[in-house]
Amino acid sequence: MAAMVQRFRASLITTPTASLINLVGLAIVVVALVATVQRVVTAQGGATYFFQTMGFGLALGAIFALVALGYTMVYGIIELINFAHGDVFTLGAFISAAVLPIFGLTEGRTFGIGLILPLIGVFLVTMLACALINVGIERVAYRPLRHAPRLAPLITAIGMSAFLEGVMNVWRGPFTLHYPDLLPESQIPLGGGVTIAAKAVTVIVLAVVLMVALTVFVNRSTLGKAMRATAQDRDAAQLMGIDINRTIAATFFIGAALAGAGGIIYGLYYNSYSAFDGFTYGLYAFTAAVFGGIGNIPGAALGGILIGVIYAISDGYFTVSWTQVLVFGILIFVLVFRPTGLLGMRVPEK
Amino acid sequence: MVRARGLAVLIAATFVAFACGSSGGGGTTNKGTIDIGSDLPTSGADASSGLPTQYGAAFAVSQAGSVKGFTLKFVPYDDAVNGKHDPTKGAQNVQQMISDTKLLGMVGPFNSGVAAAEIPVANQAPLAMISPSNTNECLTLAFDYCQKYAGYTAASLRPTGKNNYFRVAANDTHQGPAMADFAYDTLGLKTIAVWDDQEPFGLGVANNFATEFTKKGGTVVARQGFDTSSKPDFHAWLNKAKTAGAQGIYAGATSASYGCIPRQESQGIFDPNSYYLGPDGIGDGQCIKDSGTTMGNDHMYASQGVADAASNPSAAATIAAYKKAHPDPNDTAAYTFAGYDCAAILIDAIGRAIDKNGGNMPTRQQVIDQMATTSNFPGLTGTYTLNSAGDPTTPALQIQQYKGGAWTTIKNLAVTS
Repeated sequence: MAAMVQRFRASLITTPTASLINLVGLAIVVVALVATVQRVVTAQGGATYFFQTMGFGLALGAIFALVALGYTMVYGIIELINFAHGDVFTLGAFISAAVLPIFGLTEGRTFGIGLILPLIGVFLVTMLACALINVGIERVAYRPLRHAPRLAPLITAIGMSAFLEGVMNVWRGPFTLHYPDLLPESQIPLGGGVTIAAKAVTVIVLAVVLMVALTVFVNRSTLGKAMRATAQDRDAAQLMGIDINRTIAATFFIGAALAGAGGIIYGLYYNSYSAFDGFTYGLYAFTAAVFGGIGNIPGAALGGILIGVIYAISDGYFTVSWTQVLVFGILIFVLVFRPTGLLGMRVPEK
Repeated sequence: MVRARGLAVLIAATFVAFACGSSGGGGTTNKGTIDIGSDLPTSGADASSGLPTQYGAAFAVSQAGSVKGFTLKFVPYDDAVNGKHDPTKGAQNVQQMISDTKLLGMVGPFNSGVAAAEIPVANQAPLAMISPSNTNECLTLAFDYCQKYAGYTAASLRPTGKNNYFRVAANDTHQGPAMADFAYDTLGLKTIAVWDDQEPFGLGVANNFATEFTKKGGTVVARQGFDTSSKPDFHAWLNKAKTAGAQGIYAGATSASYGCIPRQESQGIFDPNSYYLGPDGIGDGQCIKDSGTTMGNDHMYASQGVADAASNPSAAATIAAYKKAHPDPNDTAAYTFAGYDCAAILIDAIGRAIDKNGGNMPTRQQVIDQMATTSNFPGLTGTYTLNSAGDPTTPALQIQQYKGGAWTTIKNLAVTS
């Protein structure tokens, strides 16, 4: 963490012109923040409304973050934008919806230990299924093109995305499907009459657990070390005896497992899903990955959560019509001042 | 989404090309065959309302069998692409119909947005169109806001300057206000939040609802348009509407534009006994599925642009015959019998056109001329006289409530204007 802060500081202190531009950027950020705070303070509903809006934003952001992690990990290791990733996410919702009844989970079950245990089973099965499918995609569509021009795997990725959407379309039809309503609907009191939706809290907790698990895995395990080494310098890693193919496959495996989990959480939170949902979510998640610094795992999580929060604050305090403008406007703004994203890019060195 | 849709258009176009190659079988009677076309969304999310309407029209054609010695043949088209009604696809379908020289008129389309793309194409042929369910007022009438909100005017849709388009549904100047009156007078709502899907139909009906509700003395506490090209997240806005004091929500949308998704997402924000109101676009089975088990309840109301055929005693025999042929309850929806009436009106006009032409195959223009003189036609959903703009002179509406597992008519309203 300390190292991260230091790197952040170091990136700010550069040439005098650059620091002037940074100063202007800082001034704009301060003005925007003051305007937002003023809006938040004067808005109807007070603290409860603020926490509820933040809850919705964090829940949405947590889902973006889970999808963004897969984008960023894959980009970090082989510099490929895996366009099929958003559809692997949707596949998570589709597979879990099919698996839920097998675990005896149907609508109307009260939230408790009898629901949580089978739900863990659903998560494991779905994550494994999505992971294996994504490894298959890598084997079929990306590995043969690893040394081909950069454009070729990009096109196979788009092809894979269309293929997955088509499969889901044929499987369940193109209309919106209902996802069983399993999460608690109550409001959790935060004290002082302030409440927050339990459903949003559940989503945030689930996502944080998964992201912490990923971080521990990448930082502590041997495979995680191999992944970091491959991301830094593929050739050197290979010379050190790391099996590159296996490491890349593992990256796709873990990214898709998180996307699959994201798909389940998406279903549980919105209670509706359709074959084409992943395309938009993929776009937002990819934006989040770039926002946080592509290739950077904490960056993707931060980027996703920030986009979710900006989304909800814009919807809740300003107007829905401007939400997309605001999200992508902030993205442009951040990239102009920090082209490497919030926490800095981490891509293979050439 | 865009790229996936493009692919589907290509595939669908290929299928249509093949379908046309194999159709066009000859007639068996001496005078030949007359084709009756239909263009409705019969796949995907819209199918829950489009398909039953097509069945109604098909049933009218099969009941008539022939007209003045010409065998009738029903030629249905689907304007859904990737499960959603698609104006471009609709216009292509009309082109296909125009190229079929035996086709003298069409039933449809279902959606106002599709009609706006089809009317100019059909107008130049010219081809008679009669829609069971188009409700956007700008399709037939001139208002100063039409160009701004709908993006077209009745005149701009008719390049030849002559009318070829008719409908039996009450337009949105009636449907939005009817629900506003119902919400204020009958349900006793004083504050409401209104959202729309940014489509010509949804925006139009939502604006008309909001205007009437305000005029009545109610307050629209939140008003929002959502980009429904992909599914939006409604949570934060719903919370905003609730905080602003909304007793209910009016959705200017259809099930294909996520009309009832906010009902599900409002769980935990709004009470299940809060009201959810909308136009005919949400009065279908998809809406109930989308609303979920807790929120998909009897506090949901939808208006329909035609009267309930079941309240017309002289329609009973035909309805019974239809239900015998289509026993599945999903095959009967709000516009099934309006679809039937459209086909029946068209066949009636073709019959008169044949008489005018000395018993021979009439021209398409002759059919249009006879459509325009339709007077006191006894349909299942009402008695129809069509005016020069294409609207029924005495349209009727119904308010439906989701009750006991189905949309149930609770009120028929005659429109006086």
